[in-house]
Amino acid sequence: MLNYLIKRILMMALTLFLIITLTFFLMHAIPGGPFTSEKMLAPEIEAALNAKYGLDKPIWQQYLSYLQGIITFDLGPSFKYPGVRVNDLIREGLPVTAQTGFLAMLCVVALGIPLGIVAALHQNKWQDTTIMAIATMGVAIPSYVLATIALYLFALQWQLVPTFGLDSWQGYILPVLALSGFWLSFIARLSRSSLLEVLGQDYMVTARAKGLHPQTILFKHGMRNALIPIVTVLGPVVANLLTGSFVIEQIFALPGIGRHFVLSISNRDYTTIMGITIFYAAFLMLMILIVDLLYMVLDPRIKLGEKAQ
Amino acid sequence: MSSAPLLKVDNLTTHFHTSRGDVQAVRGVSFDVKPGEILGIVGESGSGKSITCLSILGLLKANGEVVDGSADFEGKQLTGLSDKQLRTIRGDDIAMIFQDPMTSLNPTLTVGEQLIETIVAHKPVSRGEARKRALELFELVKIPSAASRLDNYPHEFSGGMRQRVMIAMALTCDPKLLIADEPTTALDVTIQRQILLLLKDLQEKLGMAIILITHDLGVIAEVADRILVMYGGMVMETGDVYDVFESPQHPYTTGLLHSIPDVRSHTKQRLTPIPGSPPDMLRPPEGCPFAPRCPHAIQQCLEAMPPLFERPNAKPTVHEARCWLHHEEAPKALQSIFDAPEVSNG
Repeated sequence: MLNYLIKRILMMALTLFLIITLTFFLMHAIPGGPFTSEKMLAPEIEAALNAKYGLDKPIWQQYLSYLQGIITFDLGPSFKYPGVRVNDLIREGLPVTAQTGFLAMLCVVALGIPLGIVAALHQNKWQDTTIMAIATMGVAIPSYVLATIALYLFALQWQLVPTFGLDSWQGYILPVLALSGFWLSFIARLSRSSLLEVLGQDYMVTARAKGLHPQTILFKHGMRNALIPIVTVLGPVVANLLTGSFVIEQIFALPGIGRHFVLSISNRDYTTIMGITIFYAAFLMLMILIVDLLYMVLDPRIKLGEKAQ
Repeated sequence: MSSAPLLKVDNLTTHFHTSRGDVQAVRGVSFDVKPGEILGIVGESGSGKSITCLSILGLLKANGEVVDGSADFEGKQLTGLSDKQLRTIRGDDIAMIFQDPMTSLNPTLTVGEQLIETIVAHKPVSRGEARKRALELFELVKIPSAASRLDNYPHEFSGGMRQRVMIAMALTCDPKLLIADEPTTALDVTIQRQILLLLKDLQEKLGMAIILITHDLGVIAEVADRILVMYGGMVMETGDVYDVFESPQHPYTTGLLHSIPDVRSHTKQRLTPIPGSPPDMLRPPEGCPFAPRCPHAIQQCLEAMPPLFERPNAKPTVHEARCWLHHEEAPKALQSIFDAPEVSNG
């Protein structure tokens, strides 16, 4: 088990290294640079700026010095915000993003799974049809459409919630709703189909034939087995939600890291692109590792790090 | 054989509601099970044998419904009981084991836990006492190194051992009736025999009654006292197992006996399958359900449902068959097919 963990962590480091290398060279392959702009800086100034940030050196030298920084967890200075380091950019943006992301995650788990269970238990009855109709819409409607409509109705027309900012708790409602809408619907649909499949299994008939309480049958025998595919999806979803969404942060004017991610690319803010990519990749890999470990808890047939018999 | 029946099933009728109409899976099945006897129910897939037993315990899928008839267990009406009332009987007085021990055990719980939860659900005992009982049961069904096996998961057992676990689980509360639904079908032939002998042995030791559902007449011949032949959701023939094997009174039973290979036969004999396929239970035929496949069918068979005719002088129990050829007005030439036994397999 410990061997397996060490192996996995080494593999993660290797993957991260490949991601860094690939992103670094791809990024530099995009035409233009952080100091190219329509204002046409005087060539001397641009050259001076490039020299200051080391962009005049050959690319492999830039790459090596960047790697050097990474080893000490230094993501370098931002090219677009003078005097700000990428580490600070993430440190400031992450709490905002993570807070809304965490609340969205709670909604996905605490509402999505129970709604799926209710739908499965009332298959083809009105409860099921209603939940599935809403969930299908939730999967189909893009988050920015949902966000805009909600913003128009709840903030402008009825003035129930503020239009932007997270100063009061009401401010969280719309961003969390918009952020969780898709995954909530997705998880509800997945929970329903997963539980329906488990409910049709022979061991569920056995559990009934043993005279067990319906709640024991549903949770101990049913949900435990139905959770396996749900957990698979939830890992990446956590990473996705906690690292934020550019669109949602833009619409609700939230100072999170999701917007930095997109803006940095059009700005050619090399270090910010790298920093956020590395952060996202590392977080995603960590989540996938946690999911794999959870499998073992849920399903004893899965033994990690052992050869299949 | 004069004791009061343990289970009395009367005119049991079960339908499945589907978008294409009602599937009439069980059509007026009646039979008794006496304390301590083994009743074999035989029939091909779709004959209604499993559904009959699931109906008794209220274990039908959501679209299944017992539309008529009753099942009486020790004077208690089972049909119409609430799920809560049935729960006290399931796994306690009446236990059930299933065809595929691979899929009938929950893969994510240890076998010990699956036994313990059954005991705790029915008896006011602590988990520690329940574990002790589970260990006793594992030893009773002869699972080697029982103590350490309790903490294993189902996938760590072989097929035969898994079926032993299922049997141990069914015995947790000393049931008076054990319903075994094709308990050996998914197993190797050698293991099949071990499981059958184990069931027979346990039945003698514990004195419970067993309903053994199977499509394998060999299994019935090995252990059953009485036999119930089902076809098209109805009882076609019933009687003492030797009686039915010696002189079958229904062409369907004869057909079934013909389709068993006989290892003792030295001639290169071809098996005689029954031509045709079972009836569509959405629209079952008005007459005898077997008539379209029956080599001896007369006009009457296609037009009207035959009643059960009792064979005179049958011993030691009633021997009945649902066939018009036993009617006194049936052609004498055809009646003679039942006189001289064509097969002797028992």
